[in-house]
Amino acid sequence: METFAQYDVGGFYDELIAADGIPRPGAQLLVDKIESLPPGDLAMRQRAAERLLLKMGITFNVYGGEEGTEKIFPFDIIPRIVPATDWRQIEAGLKQRIFALNEFLQDIYNDKKILKDGVIPKDLIYSSRTYRRECEGFTPPRRIWCHVTGTDLVRDGDGRFYVLEDNLRCPSGVSYVLENRQVLKRTFPQVFEASKVRPVDDYPSKLLEMLEYLAPDHVQAPTIGVLTPGIYNSAYFEHSFLSQQMGVELVEGQDLVVNDGHVHMLTTKGLKRVDVLYRRIDDDFVDPLVFRPDSLLGVPGLIAAYKAGRIAMANAPGTGIADDKVVYAYVPQIIRYYTGEEPILANVPTYICGDDEDRSYVLDHLDQLVVKAANESGGYGMLVGPHATPEQRRAFAEKIKAEPRNYMAQPTLSLSRVPTIVGDRIEGRHVDLRPYVLFGREIYVQPGGLTRVALTRGSLVVNSSQGGGSKDTWVLEEGR
Amino acid sequence: MRLRVSHTTAYSYSAPASLSQNEVYLTPRQTATQQVLSSELQLTPQPEYLHRRCDYFGNIAHVFMVQQGHRQLAVTAVSEVLTSAAPAVSPQATLAWEQVVERLGRHAAEDELAALQFSFASPMVVVEEEVRAYAARSFPSGRAVLAGALDLMGRIYGEFSYDKTASTVETSVGEVLASRRGVCQDFAHLAIACLRSLGLAARYVSGYLQTLPPPGRPRLVGADASHAWVALYVPDVGWVDFDPTNNMPVGESHITVAWGRDYSDVAPVKGVVMGGGTHTLEVRVDVVQLG
Repeated sequence: METFAQYDVGGFYDELIAADGIPRPGAQLLVDKIESLPPGDLAMRQRAAERLLLKMGITFNVYGGEEGTEKIFPFDIIPRIVPATDWRQIEAGLKQRIFALNEFLQDIYNDKKILKDGVIPKDLIYSSRTYRRECEGFTPPRRIWCHVTGTDLVRDGDGRFYVLEDNLRCPSGVSYVLENRQVLKRTFPQVFEASKVRPVDDYPSKLLEMLEYLAPDHVQAPTIGVLTPGIYNSAYFEHSFLSQQMGVELVEGQDLVVNDGHVHMLTTKGLKRVDVLYRRIDDDFVDPLVFRPDSLLGVPGLIAAYKAGRIAMANAPGTGIADDKVVYAYVPQIIRYYTGEEPILANVPTYICGDDEDRSYVLDHLDQLVVKAANESGGYGMLVGPHATPEQRRAFAEKIKAEPRNYMAQPTLSLSRVPTIVGDRIEGRHVDLRPYVLFGREIYVQPGGLTRVALTRGSLVVNSSQGGGSKDTWVLEEGR
Repeated sequence: MRLRVSHTTAYSYSAPASLSQNEVYLTPRQTATQQVLSSELQLTPQPEYLHRRCDYFGNIAHVFMVQQGHRQLAVTAVSEVLTSAAPAVSPQATLAWEQVVERLGRHAAEDELAALQFSFASPMVVVEEEVRAYAARSFPSGRAVLAGALDLMGRIYGEFSYDKTASTVETSVGEVLASRRGVCQDFAHLAIACLRSLGLAARYVSGYLQTLPPPGRPRLVGADASHAWVALYVPDVGWVDFDPTNNMPVGESHITVAWGRDYSDVAPVKGVVMGGGTHTLEVRVDVVQLG
């Protein structure tokens, strides 16, 4: 196998190798190790890691795929390394951002000061499909709305991190962070030990601590459940993994019933009251009485019990308004408004198609822009202009004209790359980074996160549902 | 006009149902042209949990739960209201529709902002190209907004036939436009979609209409039905209600219960039941004029 001697950073920001071909600080040990391996050894380690993942049952589902529901999530054994200095900025930036977004949610469903002060256009909120009128006037337990978030970051050619999008509904992927680490510890045990990588494996206990914090005051030992839509959901593995790691119940809608105004679990010994739900079902499906009546994934009466304070839920319903991709464009203003500080992490410059001037720019420059629908995720409903055919661009232009409010556009970023095993070579592949943030007694940012990698050469779409893979993310201890 | 309405929804189950949870919008609203004299909800069997709440749009909803085994469930609302006619508005004197769209866009006044949220797509009102094209014919440039709306209403009344078998509560606007048939809910959704396609604000109103028997025939008790119509926001005037199913303005014989973005916000009775096997449903509505 060819190694780093022939590696070309190709004019991109590379996370491991500087432009002059020298490993970045913190990556030297790893690069030396890979260079010293006998021929064929790296490929063997990659295969061993894949076998281990399959054996551990780390799989995901792709909607509309025909090759069975479960696949292993492609994994590359060369880790992405984040120096402590970079991480300090990311951590502070995420804490600031999530704090502000939580304030925003509380305000938008209650006093609406930010609208009255004209910081955000009112029609933006009222026209959003994820603005939940059912949450008007509501304050969730401990005044926390977005308990679990996964914020997607990218590093541009200038070496700076930018926030690409916020995920405040049901972000998934943290189980891969934990499992990838288990696998990689066995792949490069000595380098891992010597590199002083910060641990990620206390995430389940932090998650549990946060959920316990939400329980009603009079409940001593709360009963907690992870509410899953079931085995056909793309993240079912994660739901079962997290419930097992936390030692709490894994339940589906049909296992729960609202009785006497409280939520109960059907058990072989009768009904058992549930105090906190970590729900991994979208707002639309959580309660057929309140949201979509055609869905039986959820629990009828759950929202009434929740609003009466009989049960806590993470995340709160209604958080989708804060990760609407058009509201995203206003997050810097949101941060300034609620904290009085400048945003530590920058947004990617964004054109709002509902704005006449922005829209005509977008329609004229579709070949250079990435266009996204306001309320879609997982890489669905988006157009990567430079990689689309003229036909696709024309079709997308029609969609934008028909419903401008529902679209925004961003310049195509030159995403940073990480060396990745491709056949018998190591080549650079584009990555993003999704760190996970928990909001309980305090805000906790897991040191690491999911590095997603676009495995196709030149591709910028890293979503697992669109053929992306993942890597372990090594956040180094201070002083390394 | 003093009216009494009684509305019964009765389910019979082939096997015992163990748990039933429901939300009903059956209590009339107090409005400028409607005074609610009394309103009572009767539930059989007696629910273990009953909660009355005011929703986002200011409607009154009741949520209840029956937690014992039951083979029948009946919900009856009996209300008495005093209705009066809305002040007459000259359609030609209203603003040109483009100006209304512009006013909503600026939403400088509080009630314009409140109206704005009825100008977007909602769960059951999706605006498609065909709808836009259908609406455009009633709204040539510069036409007074209410004159355009009344013309649209007349076209829907003339070009569509009332057919109880043509649709269900889930029929989409596109299907109604293609088949040219439907019931009051469908015509209201279609009119709302047309108005919103232009950028106007329109809401769905759920209620009842007193029907009169043909001359010389006795009035049949229980032959009435729940009804639905449309309200259009007209700046400087307010919400103007009109009834596309009957091609008439909304007046003293209409009883307003609730309004929202579309049917899904204000369905009169909805619920989820566990067990019960198959069920049969009986609905009776009776509107009578008192004194």
